[in-house]
Amino acid sequence: MRWATRSGIHVDRTACAWLIRRFIDPEAEFVFVDDPDEVPKDATPFDMRGVELGHHGGECSFEAALRRYRLDDPVLWDIARIVHEADLEDERYDAPEARGLDVLLRGLSMIRDDQELLRLTGPLYDGLYEYRKRATMLGREPS
Amino acid sequence: MVEIGRWVLLAYRLPREPSAPRLAIWRKLKGLGVAQLGDGLVALPLDSRNREQLEWLADEAIEAGGQASIWISKPATHAQERDLAATLQGEIVSQYRAVAAEARAAAADGRRRHRRTLARLRRELGRIRRRDYFPPPEREEAKRAVEALAERLGEVAA
Repeated sequence: MRWATRSGIHVDRTACAWLIRRFIDPEAEFVFVDDPDEVPKDATPFDMRGVELGHHGGECSFEAALRRYRLDDPVLWDIARIVHEADLEDERYDAPEARGLDVLLRGLSMIRDDQELLRLTGPLYDGLYEYRKRATMLGREPS
Repeated sequence: MVEIGRWVLLAYRLPREPSAPRLAIWRKLKGLGVAQLGDGLVALPLDSRNREQLEWLADEAIEAGGQASIWISKPATHAQERDLAATLQGEIVSQYRAVAAEARAAAADGRRRHRRTLARLRRELGRIRRRDYFPPPEREEAKRAVEALAERLGEVAA
């Protein structure tokens, strides 16, 4: 399936793309557009204005995707908390990791294009998932 | 000659009732440090983050039964842009001053319970810096005052 989002991707869009590829559609192909009118007919838009997989009720697109695809894995919701704070900074959650994630992605986006950013952030989110999974199991931060 | 910068504008209108979405949007706009150009018209210096944040707020206004649109625009004159920047800077200056004053008062008092004050002021400073588009000298002053408080509390603990 094809998925489309705005170009110049950052935390919410890289996290959504990772989520889509890992948990929703392993064959996902991503298209980046500058204008909503450029979204291909056969593509599902995400993190764009006025779409289902966008911001709703003060939540970010990653949270919208978890709800839409009924992903109730607590580790994913734990990551959602970090993505939410990195993207919206509204202090709804206590997520000190968010600042660091935001800075790392901002830096990467200065030196790599969108497709490359997806390739690089895949293992980053895999690692974050593994870390938060162990933290959830242990009930404390893993070393 | 310095080029006039581009700004991203949000024009919005919300139903008077219910007031909760109104308040939520107003709080978020305040957090972003927008310049209020008129009733339901706010502006931020254009960059991808500011544009995106205002776009999501536009959607939020529409979802709450209101109307909203996003514009990219340029002030017609340098003077107008200077005024806009000065207004934004003025707001930020008083926020930095409040942090500096509180940090100095806590340092003068010097009790250990001010470790909490320190943590809170550091967070507050971070928030102000994120909406500080035209950094004034008060930015450094506030930072120094908070660091001085950290040092002072280090002494107290020792």
